[in-house]
Amino acid sequence: MPLSVFLRYTLQVLGSITMIYPVLWMLTIALKPNDEVFKIPPEFLPSDFLWSNFIDATTKISFWPIFLNTSIITVAATIGAVVSSILIGYGISRINFPGRNFFFYIFLGSQMLPGMVSLVPTFVLFKSIGWYNTWYPLIVPAFLGNPFFIFLARQFFRGIPKSYDEAAKIDGAGHWKILWKVIVPMCMPMVVTMVIFQFRGSWNDYLGPLIYLGDKEMWTLSLAIKGYMGGMEYGSSWNLFMAADLIYMMPMLLLFFFAQKYFMQGLGSLNSAGIK
Amino acid sequence: MKVQSMRNARRKDILSGYLFILPGLIGFSLFVGYPLIVSIYYSMTEWSGFNTPKYIGFENFNYLFNEDPTFYPSLKSTFLYVITSVPLLLICGLLLALLLNKQVKGIRIFRTLFYLPVVLPTVAVITLWGFVYNPQFGLANQVLGWIGLPSSDWLSGEHSALFSLIVMSLWGVGGTMIIFLGGLQSVPKDLYEASEVDGASSWRKFWSITLPMITPILFLQFIIGLIASFQIFEQAQILTDGGPGFATYFLNFSIYKSAFNENDFGYAIAKVWVLFFIVMAFTVVSYRFANRHVYYENED
Repeated sequence: MPLSVFLRYTLQVLGSITMIYPVLWMLTIALKPNDEVFKIPPEFLPSDFLWSNFIDATTKISFWPIFLNTSIITVAATIGAVVSSILIGYGISRINFPGRNFFFYIFLGSQMLPGMVSLVPTFVLFKSIGWYNTWYPLIVPAFLGNPFFIFLARQFFRGIPKSYDEAAKIDGAGHWKILWKVIVPMCMPMVVTMVIFQFRGSWNDYLGPLIYLGDKEMWTLSLAIKGYMGGMEYGSSWNLFMAADLIYMMPMLLLFFFAQKYFMQGLGSLNSAGIK
Repeated sequence: MKVQSMRNARRKDILSGYLFILPGLIGFSLFVGYPLIVSIYYSMTEWSGFNTPKYIGFENFNYLFNEDPTFYPSLKSTFLYVITSVPLLLICGLLLALLLNKQVKGIRIFRTLFYLPVVLPTVAVITLWGFVYNPQFGLANQVLGWIGLPSSDWLSGEHSALFSLIVMSLWGVGGTMIIFLGGLQSVPKDLYEASEVDGASSWRKFWSITLPMITPILFLQFIIGLIASFQIFEQAQILTDGGPGFATYFLNFSIYKSAFNENDFGYAIAKVWVLFFIVMAFTVVSYRFANRHVYYENED
């Protein structure tokens, strides 16, 4: 093996161990009896693998209801963002009407705006219509389109020859039918990318729930996990906290392992070439 | 007859076009247009968010620039964070991409491992690092112990808190890496072949071919990183509460505090505008600079 190849491998192995180590550390803590967490000098592996920590962490406190809250919000927002962005993307790429390019750049430009600019006025607006302490502020805006998805949809839709639309039109299909029966089925990778991004965005969202959700019963996992850190729920039981945090991570990890190529490609779509 | 029906079809297209983009129009008006307009006015009011805003002219800005003891420290910590974390992320991301660009056995596994931290939820990552930085039982001091360094206060030390957050942000370097990787692979192979014929070293190839060819991606990443890191918020809100002292009292965090902890909405919005102009100024200057130094392939 030539030296340069050996060096490359060594760096890759060392680097990836460093990257993954905090997660491994977390996993071993989640499996330890709690007194072993505070042993000095620390030992990496638990003396006894306590898988029951995962059950304790999620049943001693009201964890699953919050997990369910997060899931409901995430699913609803995902459906909303994907459907509405596809509609808007279709409108500005395949229907010819004056102003469509103007609106496209308006939508795209709005992504440049720092989130805080709209945060306070939007907060006051939602509060005034009684949406404080409800899930509406976390779900309804998703139904009004996502700038990045609109951009993505336009890119994909413009790549499909117009002859498909015309053929469908001759068969008597309107725009609605053309979109869902002809165009969208040809763009499934795009739909998957959107679903992943929005799912991730909603599952991870912290600021939204932080300012809109007051009651604990309404909370999402991001708020709850923050609350558990140093909170009363687990006290000083690091093992239980880590177990709960891992369960919070789990849907993202599963999504990543099953749809890895979309993760990597979607983010790589900033430049035209995919990653080989 | 024909002209008539074509005109009808055209009118129908305009109508359905606007119907299709209607959600976007509503969304834009509610979440961009309306907030932009009203917040110009709100920034000049005293307003708790519950009462009617009271117009006070430029008093908020006057207080911010001349009296508020937290403003300049928060500017300082924000700038320090941005000017260290953004270049570090770009350099490390590019180095990693170069390291992982060769098609060798197991390369996918390595890429996956480097990318993994990026897919984890923000709050999960931040809370995990809260424990990593625990001075007594955390992983960070364990690691320092292994390599024979004295332990650190990390987040609770006035001089180490910001540094700790920067290290934490580097854990997400996989995101930058993956985009550079795409960029590296889109550099035309024949350029390298031609330079090999001329006997160029790999060092020379990097500086004369790779780097110039990926400047558009480098630049895009720079802008995205800039905008994102100027808005750093969660780390301060969850881990440090802006402290110790003002070490991590980032501007975006101070905006949040003013609005949602102190109910000083008018003042918070005034600060939002200051942040907005800083970000804009940086972006515009970068674009100016980029026009001269970024190479776009399809330009000529």
